[in-house]
Amino acid sequence: MMQKFAPSLLVVALGVALAGCQDNGPQDEKVTINKNPYPSTYTPLKSTSTLITNATVLTGTGERLEEADVLLVDGKVQQVGKDLSASADVTIDAQGKWVTPGLIDVHSHLGAYPNPSVESHQDGNEMTSPNTAEVWVEHSVWPQDPGFNRAREGGITSLQILPGSANLFGGRGVTLKNVPAHTMQGMKFPDAPYGLKMACGENPKRVYGRKGILPMTRMGNMAGYRTAWIGAAEYKREWDKYEADYAAGKNPEVPHRDIKYDTLRGVLEGEVMIHNHCYKAEEMAMMIDLSKEFGYHAGTFHHGIEAYKIADLLAENGSCAALWPDWWGFKMEAYDMVQENVAIVDAVKNSCAVVHSDSDTTIQRLNQEAGKVMFRANDNGFNISEAHAIKWITVNAAKSLGIDDKTGSLEAGKQGDVVIWNQNPFSVYAKAEQVFVDGAKVYDREDTAFQAQSDFMLGQK
Amino acid sequence: MTKLTHSFSLSLVAAGLLASTAANAESFAIINATVHTSTEQGVLNGASIVFDDGKITAINPAKVEADNIVDAQGQIVTAGFIGSMNQLGLVEVGAVAGSRDAGDDKAGIDFDPSLAFNPRSSLIPYARKGGITRDVVTPHGGDSIFAGLATVVDLSGEFDSVKQTQAALVVYLGEQRKGSRAMSLKSLIEKLSEHQQKSTKKDKKDDAKPSTEDKVLTQVLAGEMPLLVTASRASDIIELIKVKEQFSLNLVISGAQDAVVVKEQLANAQVPVIMSAMDNLPGSFDSLHAHLTNAGELEKAGVKVLLAIAGDGSHNVYQLRFDAGNAVSYGMTQEGALKAITANVADVFGINAGRIAVGKAADLVMWNDDPFELNSHVTKMFINGVEVSTESRHDKLRDRYLTESNMPRAYTK
Repeated sequence: MMQKFAPSLLVVALGVALAGCQDNGPQDEKVTINKNPYPSTYTPLKSTSTLITNATVLTGTGERLEEADVLLVDGKVQQVGKDLSASADVTIDAQGKWVTPGLIDVHSHLGAYPNPSVESHQDGNEMTSPNTAEVWVEHSVWPQDPGFNRAREGGITSLQILPGSANLFGGRGVTLKNVPAHTMQGMKFPDAPYGLKMACGENPKRVYGRKGILPMTRMGNMAGYRTAWIGAAEYKREWDKYEADYAAGKNPEVPHRDIKYDTLRGVLEGEVMIHNHCYKAEEMAMMIDLSKEFGYHAGTFHHGIEAYKIADLLAENGSCAALWPDWWGFKMEAYDMVQENVAIVDAVKNSCAVVHSDSDTTIQRLNQEAGKVMFRANDNGFNISEAHAIKWITVNAAKSLGIDDKTGSLEAGKQGDVVIWNQNPFSVYAKAEQVFVDGAKVYDREDTAFQAQSDFMLGQK
Repeated sequence: MTKLTHSFSLSLVAAGLLASTAANAESFAIINATVHTSTEQGVLNGASIVFDDGKITAINPAKVEADNIVDAQGQIVTAGFIGSMNQLGLVEVGAVAGSRDAGDDKAGIDFDPSLAFNPRSSLIPYARKGGITRDVVTPHGGDSIFAGLATVVDLSGEFDSVKQTQAALVVYLGEQRKGSRAMSLKSLIEKLSEHQQKSTKKDKKDDAKPSTEDKVLTQVLAGEMPLLVTASRASDIIELIKVKEQFSLNLVISGAQDAVVVKEQLANAQVPVIMSAMDNLPGSFDSLHAHLTNAGELEKAGVKVLLAIAGDGSHNVYQLRFDAGNAVSYGMTQEGALKAITANVADVFGINAGRIAVGKAADLVMWNDDPFELNSHVTKMFINGVEVSTESRHDKLRDRYLTESNMPRAYTK
């Protein structure tokens, strides 16, 4: 993913201006857009090899192993199974405890809407235009948000920070490893794809309609997306042509650079994943058609209160649905909530049901959020096991973020992101006791040496 | 049926009972229950509860006699839970202005939103899923620090749900978006002083009919009506305790994120606290000490703790039992957490419910398992002795979309 340093566009642009428009050789230096200008500097905390023994293990692959062991070596899961013969620097007797993959929240605003939620901290939504695909939420992330620490205490090891939902295109999201750091780059999940936040429905039309600009209606929303994708397709054509012409030995004029379209082009090229705030069945169905109209993948639908009405359509399209268990009624498009939403979406073949938080509070209890769904569904005719429900907050979430090859389940070779729970994590009384990220212990409920504190909280009386 | 023969004054509670007697013609008994009484009796195993005319008439009588007998088969029975600090029945959809009646720019001491209470709101049967049988509905208010008057309702969904108006005067203090909190506190103190002076000086002859505001303030100053003040910062709480002492108020503090810092003072001054068990982020400089252990610490210090749902408590009040469970997980006693959503709420707002004891309203909930746990659900529920359902439109929607049909879903009802 690392790109060679690209010459600044300004210099190149001047060069082009002086040389005039010469389509045929001699070639100017090729302009390459740096796709990773704010690279991750994350390195795992120091770790030793760790053997967790005798636990009830939910692997995230749908399995539940009793009296099982998990071996972490060099930051990775090396083995999971019964009576592992391996030895390790540290052995943790987890008799009576449960072990799961680290939890992943695909929808968070930590750092961008941090605590304290004072005026100066309202950095989560650039509400100045219906299309702000040019903003990257990582540029708003305050790594000292105490919420990161609280989330880690709840077993969250990875999370996607998204911009807010006032805009048709809200900007890029960023996936973080939930480790304490004093720079955003220090948390950035290496090689995780970028996300692009889109929003359907009430928010964009309310925010901009009030200002008398498009969108004022849901049809205005659709017109806004379509206009943007037409522009993006054109932009992509220009750059594709530049690259093809240059490769053919020509000296083409460098297309105009637009960071808004860089992001949309990234979507069209399959590099940036869509994360679409979209509540209603008919709107999600249209967003799927929209993606087909312009040739990209509709990605994950977030907050889909009515996802249960189109569960088959979502699965057929390969779209994840990231949902709450019971959040409802705060606006009209959140009125048709059912507590079994996640379970109904999940029940379809090839589905990808995810429980998300969108909250600095419930991100701390994503296990309980998933538990509520599982139990309400089982009260009403479903038969969902813990081993299955854990997927909603681990591997399915990882899939939604495009990091399921790296984390989200306890399988050999995956990153050592692990939580040890004091009991069945789907209990209201469950607590994460120890949390590991890339094999390193980042939280221990019994040991203050592993309890991070934000700069902001330090020394407060 | 037993006729209402008591000759008590026609309070609103009595009026409510009279209006619902038709639906309440038969006596009930629950037998073989594990009864969590929310009283000093604690938990009674294999117990029976008899109720008639909306009230509990006997617990463990020598002989159980009733028109209907329900065998709990060992299941847990609790008093119905009591929500507070939300706008149940005063809002249907948060962002739909026309469905919101809990606030008004002109709201003040005499703002009584009970006139707008809608017992047919879809939020009410949904809340019953969480074992909520009663609620202290509180206004948002408007420009004034005085938000208006709290109302106690039951969750029967009937038109006589409003059981008690003027249950508390609600005041918002603490951090201000504009101006100084000192000015807010000064307005409160001045309002109380003025009224106190006015009533002592009052010449009976020119005694015009007192306004609602006057009547409310008289009750507040007599300690008869709770003054329910929202405040978080420790120093604000200390100032409020001084105000309580100066005017001998029945002070209740809600929010109270940093109450733990002054827990001894709160306990000594006997000030109950209404808080969210889940508040543990420093949302502002007023709440740097918000922590999951606070409810337990306040309980241990001897503060009367009431739990309420933070944020949108109207749509989410059903979760109160889970908040109680989390409070237990972080140090509250099981019994204390149960009282924090039953008896303590009843005590603070003068509600004749919240305990399983003779004479209390027969608001009873039966559970298939630990009511604080995620896996449990309500198996039977009575409000004022009348059985109610927990089915809401959410269930109808679920069933519609889970029912196979070769016709459009709209035909599945």
